[in-house]
Amino acid sequence: MTEDQTRQSTAGSTPPRWARWVRIAVIGRNPKVTLVRVAILIVTCFVVFRFVLLPIRVEGISMLPTYKDRSVNVVNRLAYLWHDPQRGDVVSIRLAGPHLMYMKRIIALPGETIAFEHGRVLINGEVLDEPYEKTPCDWNCPPVKLGPDEFFVVGDNRTMPQQFHKFGETPRYRIVGKVLL
Amino acid sequence: MKIAFRIGSAAVLAVLAVWLWTVLCPSPEKVIRQRFADLARTASVSADAGDLARLSAARSLAGFFATNVEMNLDLPRVGRLSSMDREEITQMYLAASSRGGGMQVKFPDLNVTVAPDSLSAVVDLTVTATIAGEADAIVQEMKVTLHKIDGQWLITRVETVRTLS
Repeated sequence: MTEDQTRQSTAGSTPPRWARWVRIAVIGRNPKVTLVRVAILIVTCFVVFRFVLLPIRVEGISMLPTYKDRSVNVVNRLAYLWHDPQRGDVVSIRLAGPHLMYMKRIIALPGETIAFEHGRVLINGEVLDEPYEKTPCDWNCPPVKLGPDEFFVVGDNRTMPQQFHKFGETPRYRIVGKVLL
Repeated sequence: MKIAFRIGSAAVLAVLAVWLWTVLCPSPEKVIRQRFADLARTASVSADAGDLARLSAARSLAGFFATNVEMNLDLPRVGRLSSMDREEITQMYLAASSRGGGMQVKFPDLNVTVAPDSLSAVVDLTVTATIAGEADAIVQEMKVTLHKIDGQWLITRVETVRTLS
């Protein structure tokens, strides 16, 4: 009699099948394991997005047409751990901190001499091939000799007047990382 | 159990005491950060603010600076500046804020270095000013020197930093 009552009460308290599946979908078969997984996921996300991949939002038109205004991207902070930045890399350059950065392309490396002549970039006197440049421009800039730790960066959008475009030499320590996408 | 309770209570009290100490006696760095937060709030002006509100903001803004401020500024729309007094700062702010729409000032990055004697500090910062009706915000890196004068942290020197030279 007691056993029957127990069975009945257990059968009566069993949740419906859909509720069981919802529970499994939300918290898994084993809540403890799910909790551990969530904790690991949170820690991993924190470490990755804090120290490795920096999410950014592009604001402005200086990198058009390669990167559009208000597009979202990621900066790889470990990209230059083993080697120096290369010509053609799109990098983020910090100002006073990492909350606001410039996004520019490296066109000249340390020790090189760079000049703009009627819109063409001259590196050590030779014209630089820039496949990312889609529109002609008329920028002119006298030759600049870069220091041993300096890179020359500029945006891809050179259709805008030269005086409204931020470009120039930047020391290595200001380069936060390489733009990933 | 009794010992554990006592240790727990002592730990809670210690944490509470430390928290109270930081609230009542904040570090110079914390005070300076708060000062810049107030500065940003004061310098920001809404589009519908009247002349009186702007004048009041300008007077408050001047209070963040020392009587004479050494300047080494090279700003895109302002030009070169070498030194200013509070009245000139007030006039400059009034001229900038009355151009039309509102203006939002922010300091997204602040690196505060307090001198060992805790009487002066240097702040490397990024300032952004978003002016209503203009597509791009003004972004500038700056180096600001503050001195503790009569118990208040006042700005004594401002210079622009060229991120890309």
